[in-house]
Amino acid sequence: MDAVRIALQVVLVASGLIQTLLILLHKGKGGGVSDMFGGGISTSVGSSSVAERNLTRFTVIIALIWVVSIVGIGLIDRFDA
Amino acid sequence: MLSSFGQAFRTPDLRKKLLFTLGIIILFRMGSVIPTPGVSYAAVQACLAGAPEDANSFLGLANLFSGGALLQLSIFALGIMPYITASIIVQLLTVVIPRFETLKKEGQQGQTKLTQYTRYLTIGLAVLQASTLITFARNPENLFGPQCTNILYRDDVATIVIMVLTMTAGTGLVMWLGELITDKGVGNGMSLLIFTSIAATFPSSLWTIRQQQGWGTFAFVIAMGLVIIAIVVFVEQSQRRIPVQYAKRMVGRRMYGGTSTYIPLKVNMANVIPIIFASSLISLPMMASQFRRSPTGDNPSWVDWVDRYLVRGDHPVYMAIYVTLILFFTFFYVSITFEPDEVADNMKKYGGFIPGIRAGRPTAEYLRYVLNRITVVGAIYLALVSLIPLVALSLFGANQNFPFGGTSILIMVGVGLETVKQIESQLQQHKYEGFLR
Repeated sequence: MDAVRIALQVVLVASGLIQTLLILLHKGKGGGVSDMFGGGISTSVGSSSVAERNLTRFTVIIALIWVVSIVGIGLIDRFDA
Repeated sequence: MLSSFGQAFRTPDLRKKLLFTLGIIILFRMGSVIPTPGVSYAAVQACLAGAPEDANSFLGLANLFSGGALLQLSIFALGIMPYITASIIVQLLTVVIPRFETLKKEGQQGQTKLTQYTRYLTIGLAVLQASTLITFARNPENLFGPQCTNILYRDDVATIVIMVLTMTAGTGLVMWLGELITDKGVGNGMSLLIFTSIAATFPSSLWTIRQQQGWGTFAFVIAMGLVIIAIVVFVEQSQRRIPVQYAKRMVGRRMYGGTSTYIPLKVNMANVIPIIFASSLISLPMMASQFRRSPTGDNPSWVDWVDRYLVRGDHPVYMAIYVTLILFFTFFYVSITFEPDEVADNMKKYGGFIPGIRAGRPTAEYLRYVLNRITVVGAIYLALVSLIPLVALSLFGANQNFPFGGTSILIMVGVGLETVKQIESQLQQHKYEGFLR
C-alpha cells in the first residue's frame, strides 16, 4: 500500500499547489471587512468572461482531484494502521 | 412572512441562487469534517471527548469561526479566519501606507486591487497558521489536555509538509467558495460561511448545557437568547438620520437635484469588529504563556499572573480589560471607516447641505459631533453585549463558547439581516412584498 499512498501524496501536493494558484488567478469578489460584517449594500454585477469561466471549470476539476486524493490517503491510513 | 419565503422559492431566478448558496454551504460543512491526511480521525475524536472544558479556551475565537473544524484538524481547519485577519490587516494598512490609501479612494478599480492583495495575504497567513496548528498537533497535550498523547499516524518531515500544504490549499478553497457565493448566490459569501460555522456549533453547545444543568436552565438559556436576539436586532436597525438637502441645478434645459435625503448614522457603526479585535488581543498573552509553561509546575511569575487574571473570563480584571479594549476599538474603528471631512467634502461637491449648517468645515464638525455622541452609546452597547458570555460563565459555569455570546449573536444577527435584505431586494424585482416591514 505504500506505493499507492506515495502516489496519492504526490497527486495531493501537485493538485493542492495548482489549486491555490488557480484560485489566486481568479478576480477577487467582495470588498473588505466592513462589507463582510454589514456595511453598505454592494451589488456586484456578475460579469464573468470566457477566460474566467474556463478558469472556474479547471479549478473545480483540480479541487475534485484534491479532495479525492485526500479521502484516498485517509482511507489507506485508516485501514493500514 | 412565510408566504414571502414561498415566493422566494417560486421565483426561478432567486431559487437558483438560493439553492446554489445552500449547495456551497453543504460542501463547506462536508470539508470541515474530512480530516487532514496524516491525522487519525479516531484519535482526535477520543481526545476531543476527553478534553477538559477550558483547555482550548485560548483557541476560542478561532475555533468558533471554524465551527469546531480547527480542533478536528480537518482540511478546512483554518476556515475563514486567515481571510478575516488578512482583510483586517489590509484595512488597517490603508491608514498607514499612502499607496493603499490612494487605492481605496480610487473606487471600484482600487478596491479590486486591494481585494487581490487581501487574497495573497490570506494564503501567506494560512501557511503561517497551518504551521502553528500542526506544531500544536504534534504535541496534542497543549490542545486537548494531558490524557491525549498522539493524534498523528506518522511524524516525519514529509508528512508534516504535506499537512501544512493541504490546510493552506483548504483555506484557499474556502476563500473561493465564499467568493462564489458572493458572485453567484445571495448575500456576502464570507460572512455567510462564518454564519454557518457559528450556527453549526449551536446545537452541540446548547445540548452540553442541557446535559450539565438540566432542562430548567436549558429553557431559561433559550428564552434569554431570544430576548437578546430581539434586542440586538432592534439596536442594529436603529440609526440617526441626518437630513441633507440638495440644491437645484440647471444643466442645459434640465433641472437636477432639489431632493432631500439623509445620511444614516448607525448606532452600532463598527459592528462586531471591535469585539474581534479585543478578543484576539486579549488572548495574545495567554498564547505566549503556553510556550513558557513547564510541566513541573514552577512557571515564571508572569505566567502565573496571566493564568490568574487573563485566562478565565469571570475574573473582574479580565472583564475590565476586555471592556476597555472594546470601547477603545469601537472609537478607533469608527474613526477609520467614517470620515466626516470626506463626507462633508463630497456633499459640498454635489451641492448638498445639512439644513441650518454651512457647507464645508462646519458640516464636518457637526457630523463629527453627532458621530461621537452616537458612538458612545454604540460602544457601551457593544461592551454590554460582549459581557453576556462572561456573565453566563460565572452564572451557569458554561464554557467560553456560550452559544448566545456577544460575538456569535452580533455576527449572526448582522449577517442574517444583511442576507434577508438582499434576498428581499431581489424579490422586489418580481413582487412588491418582503420579509421585513
